[in-house]
Amino acid sequence: MQVIIILIEILILFAIVMLHVAYATYFERKIIGHMQVRLGPMRVGWHGLLQPIADGIKSFFKEDVVPEQADVFTFRAAPIICLVAMMTSLAVLPFAKGWVLADINIGLLFIFAMSSLSSYGVILAGWASNSKFTFLGGLRSMAQVISYEIAMGLSLVGVMMMSGTLNLTKIVEAQGASFSGMYVFPQIIAFFVFCVAMLAETNRVPFDLPEAETELVSGYCTEYSGMRYAIFFMAEYIGMMVMASIGTICFLGGWSGPFEVALFPPFWFVAKVYVFMFFFIWIRATLPRYRYDQLMEVGWKLLIPLALGNIVLTGFIKAFTG
Amino acid sequence: MQIQYKPKRNLLQTIFHVEIMQGMALTLKKLFSKPITRQYPDERPEIELGFRGQHALVRDEITGESKCVACMRCVTVCPSRCIYIRFHKDEDSGARVVDSYDIEALRCVYCGFCEEVCPVNALALTEIYEYAAYDRESIFFDQEKLLGNWDRFVEMKGKAMDNYVNPFWRPRGIPEGRLTAAKRLDVPDEWTVEGQVVGSQANVND
Repeated sequence: MQVIIILIEILILFAIVMLHVAYATYFERKIIGHMQVRLGPMRVGWHGLLQPIADGIKSFFKEDVVPEQADVFTFRAAPIICLVAMMTSLAVLPFAKGWVLADINIGLLFIFAMSSLSSYGVILAGWASNSKFTFLGGLRSMAQVISYEIAMGLSLVGVMMMSGTLNLTKIVEAQGASFSGMYVFPQIIAFFVFCVAMLAETNRVPFDLPEAETELVSGYCTEYSGMRYAIFFMAEYIGMMVMASIGTICFLGGWSGPFEVALFPPFWFVAKVYVFMFFFIWIRATLPRYRYDQLMEVGWKLLIPLALGNIVLTGFIKAFTG
Repeated sequence: MQIQYKPKRNLLQTIFHVEIMQGMALTLKKLFSKPITRQYPDERPEIELGFRGQHALVRDEITGESKCVACMRCVTVCPSRCIYIRFHKDEDSGARVVDSYDIEALRCVYCGFCEEVCPVNALALTEIYEYAAYDRESIFFDQEKLLGNWDRFVEMKGKAMDNYVNPFWRPRGIPEGRLTAAKRLDVPDEWTVEGQVVGSQANVND
């Protein structure tokens, strides 16, 4: 019985997240369009509202091309690895009090593990396609994820020290329900480091070197088409959502808000996640891409020392104020 | 010349990423501005004076045929050489008779020289711009198609065609005496802009 309930819950979560992913693409195209004084999708449905569904149907029925020289098994598996790893992190996210599939004690570590696992999908895709563009994209992704994973992990150490736990539900509860309890104020440096590392982890502009269109055609997913390409796309958006959720949980107080919303407890959580998503899109509409050596410089010479300094500072404050 | 460089950032500006914030403020401001997109098939662009679109041979109201006299000026002036005319001389009158008049519109660069140079205003670049096709043959205009294009243009414009004239039929800045009789057309007053004289008879003999 327990298993069936969990399966149903997983199914519901999957459906809702997929819907959110579809409409996140619409949200992004609309916002970027208006920021560039265009309209964005307008044709399918009222103001293009059915565009994501049309895109989904289109990519589902397109031909799935496998290059002749590709390593077929790895080529086929790579997008699935990417998507599964991203989807798995959803299991430990608390959307509201008690609204979590697996309330495990190492939630934060689990998400780190899964988000670095998903970069295996990217690297394998780059390798298996047997093309120079995808290979370069895969290499860049590997280097980028390794450098920024450290900065991101270290930035969240401050949060762990303040809350004294890795359980995401308990991190939210430790912040209390008040506005001033949010960790974004005491951990402002960590929040900055997290925001930058989050962009790099999800391969978003200005750190989208693995898929830099101007240099690498489409980077690691150049050789993919149809549904497999769409799976990479979904993985990217789920990754954005997961990162936005971690930001919300660790710095913005999760589901707690100024007042309780009856019937729909995760209201504030969803609202905060969408603020983060807007931030992602806003950045994309504004900034150009970093050069590769600048990317490494920001990661190693700026973010990691900042995060380490933040840990020391938090430690001192915690030791003296108790 | 004094070159104004952007002042160097100071430490505070570097730490708080002031330039990135300026950029973000700009994109946020533009988010709420009115988009300039025109929803094309629903909203059509307004056609300006001097628009050069699909080619047409003017159908003479009296004879119902083309006005072309086979002087070959358009063929000579055409920079992309996309006009082809065949003619023979009528044995009795000695006048030229057009056998075929073809325009290869895919090679045309729409410069409008042909209609400007035409002494009898037989040719026009109309305001029709939607004539894409799936094969090259349908964009190779022979005399019949060109006359048909004119009929379609007349139908599209309706009443406005009664005294139709375009800026190439009556080129600006050329004294009236230098123009052929057919080109001495009455033009609206607003065409005499930018100090260009339209229809001056003063210096015919320069």
